[in-house]
Amino acid sequence: MSAATLDPRVDPVRRSTAPVLARLPAPGVVLAAAWLVLVVLAAAAPTLLSGTDPYAADTGALLQPPSAHHWFGTDQIGRDLYSRVVHGSSLSLRATLVAVAVGVCLGAAVGLVAGAAGGWVDAVLMRLVDVLLAIPSLLLSLAIITVLGFGTLNVAVAVGFGSVAACARVMRAEVLRVHGSTYVEASASLGVRRPTVLLRHVLPNAAGPVLVLAALDFGTAVLAVSSLSFLGYGAKPPTPEWGSLVASGRDFLGSGWWLTTLPGLVIVATVLAANRLARALEGRREGDLR
Amino acid sequence: MTRSPRRSRRLLLAAPAAAVLLGLAACGGTAAAGGGGGDDGGTFRFALASDPSCLNPRVSGNNDAAYPSRQLVDSLTDQDPETGAIKPWLASSFAVNKAATQFTFTLRDGVTFSDGTPLTADVVKQNFDEIISHGAAQAQSLQFLTGYQRTVVVDDTTARVEFGQPNAQFLQATASHFLGLLAPSSLAVDPVNRCDANIVGTGPFVLDHYTRNTEVVETRRAGYAWGSSLWTHTGEAASARLEFKVIPEAAVRSGSLKSGQVDAIGGVPPQDESTITAGGVTLQVRPNPGQVFTLTPNVRRPALKDVRVRQALSLAVDRASVVKAALSPSYKPATSPVASTTPGYVDLSSRLTYDPERAKTLLDAAGWVPGADGIREKDGQRLTLVTYWATNFNPNQAALELIQQQARQVGIEIDLNSVPIGELQAKLATGDFDLSWGNSTRPDPDILRNTYWRDGTAPYGITDAALVKALKGQQTTVDARSRAADAATAQKVIVDQALGVPVFELTTVLGLRPGVTGVRFDSYSRLQLVAAAATRS
Repeated sequence: MSAATLDPRVDPVRRSTAPVLARLPAPGVVLAAAWLVLVVLAAAAPTLLSGTDPYAADTGALLQPPSAHHWFGTDQIGRDLYSRVVHGSSLSLRATLVAVAVGVCLGAAVGLVAGAAGGWVDAVLMRLVDVLLAIPSLLLSLAIITVLGFGTLNVAVAVGFGSVAACARVMRAEVLRVHGSTYVEASASLGVRRPTVLLRHVLPNAAGPVLVLAALDFGTAVLAVSSLSFLGYGAKPPTPEWGSLVASGRDFLGSGWWLTTLPGLVIVATVLAANRLARALEGRREGDLR
Repeated sequence: MTRSPRRSRRLLLAAPAAAVLLGLAACGGTAAAGGGGGDDGGTFRFALASDPSCLNPRVSGNNDAAYPSRQLVDSLTDQDPETGAIKPWLASSFAVNKAATQFTFTLRDGVTFSDGTPLTADVVKQNFDEIISHGAAQAQSLQFLTGYQRTVVVDDTTARVEFGQPNAQFLQATASHFLGLLAPSSLAVDPVNRCDANIVGTGPFVLDHYTRNTEVVETRRAGYAWGSSLWTHTGEAASARLEFKVIPEAAVRSGSLKSGQVDAIGGVPPQDESTITAGGVTLQVRPNPGQVFTLTPNVRRPALKDVRVRQALSLAVDRASVVKAALSPSYKPATSPVASTTPGYVDLSSRLTYDPERAKTLLDAAGWVPGADGIREKDGQRLTLVTYWATNFNPNQAALELIQQQARQVGIEIDLNSVPIGELQAKLATGDFDLSWGNSTRPDPDILRNTYWRDGTAPYGITDAALVKALKGQQTTVDARSRAADAATAQKVIVDQALGVPVFELTTVLGLRPGVTGVRFDSYSRLQLVAAAATRS
């Protein structure tokens, strides 16, 4: 999705697409990709992976350990945990995507404007970004969510805001790099209007690293969204969400380890898989640039 | 450029790992039995389930605030937990006139506050006057003084409290810690500065310090000799020092008890009861008197104005299975709007049955028909009941999620919204809700008036004439039998008209380490620790 798919007619530096197919991905990358496909499938069509109603309480089967019948066991009121994790992935994943989208779009816009405008606009925007960077992103998200109110979408927006600063910085650096290129100068001297130059030439060529950063952010966003929903800022009960599943199980560490451990492992696996895949992407991009 | 994001990523991944390690460390604990305490009676360590937030007895409404606060102050009277009878404490005798407007207390001799000032009738007057003058800041206590006119200091040891209207519940209120007596030096301090210091009482313990979210430490009052007539323990407290540790995580609290880091814990998580008793811990259990955990409908709402809808909701709740799933055998399903330990309680279990089929019939008759997803509709309106609940009791969420499922079976959708306990009343006061979930503790039938009617200011819009008459009636007579009759009528009306859907009795479950003695429940099912002691092997 990064360099290879970008419009090749504009940047001669990037025309090294040939050996990509020859390079076989590492087994870790394949595993990570497979896991993410599974998670996306769970989010898109949860009924495919689990036929059980995630809300159906069965008071005859309370706190059952994992078994062939209940893969992840049951919770304190007899709901099937596997089904809750599967159905919860849709909300968690959607929140993550919104968070990443908010972070990337806002960050890229700020970076683009700052890099292109230069001067005092650049100085003001970048000092604001510095201020944002000075605050830990989770803390910033917490502050935002107390203003926005509770709910999964609000959690997502808050997490997105937390990653605006990093995106803006990367975008600005790329814009500055691309801005000095001859083809940009050329189109400007041909009389193309400035906004068109920015959108047609600067943005596509500067977007690559930002998109890689977005992929990297995906893993941390999963974690941040889950953290906030663990703290109770997410969806209303009984709607399952990964973080809130871990939270509601923590009173049962003594009597039902699976309630926290298994949803926790799903989060860990997703974060790791996203990171592995993003690193692979990043490596490929760096290879392309070399 | 690629360096720094990579490092931050590693940090982020390390965070959950660290959390898991911390969790394991907390579970493992250390076998520290035998530690702590001197030889002068030692230290009694109790784990609270939440931060007390304010130790001022006038406002300390929840269990975790009442436990430490109760030890600091004594009350004019005490109430027998078994019979509900009011007995002498700081007042050696008391009398009430027939109209329930004048209450005369004769004070015991030789009682002093921990700052040395003696207890006199004038101090009693100052106490009640201060509640009136700081009413807004101490609403929890002000409710007992409705119609207060004055306190007459008859002589040095006799005080007469006068009301402009009958106020039969006041005598019981004097037994509560809310109206525990404070020294003049303490009353001179504004209530906002009386939460973590400046609380000077006559109680068996004196406040040493309170560190928010950490601990409350109290030390034994030297020369204490005015215990309640109901206590078997006389004289100074058995332990030299009380330490209340704030341990909000349920699993950590159980672990601290098992490992001997504390001698007793409150709020034993229902799911841990069997595992900790297997380890030699004993449970001390008593249902809290007063209003049980109840779904209270807002009858101003069009859907809930219809008694059939309310009755259907009550019939849809399977109380036994809520108790079985979300709680433990220590808890009992509700058998009345008030708990079995409340004076004036009547058993109405035959009217609080689980019958989803009848619930469906009632809803059909009321014109609510099942929609596409099973939730009933009428004139295009879904039968969705917006419910507010507080997170003050851990199993609330599981209980409500189960009730939500049960209601869904008959086609009622319950929309659950949690709010911090401090904001619940304000939320309900807006009137924008269908159901509220909560309980309130008080060993007196007047709790029904305060919950359901509040002299017309309760948020539920209840105007039922028979109920109002009964609630007013119990307030105007001190005759126990006629109060009980009114209280019984009120309970029946509430159940029959489904003005409240009682679900289960809040029960105080304490876990005590082997060797702990003397932990006593008062009539509120709260702790009286004057005799509490922990022997360490």
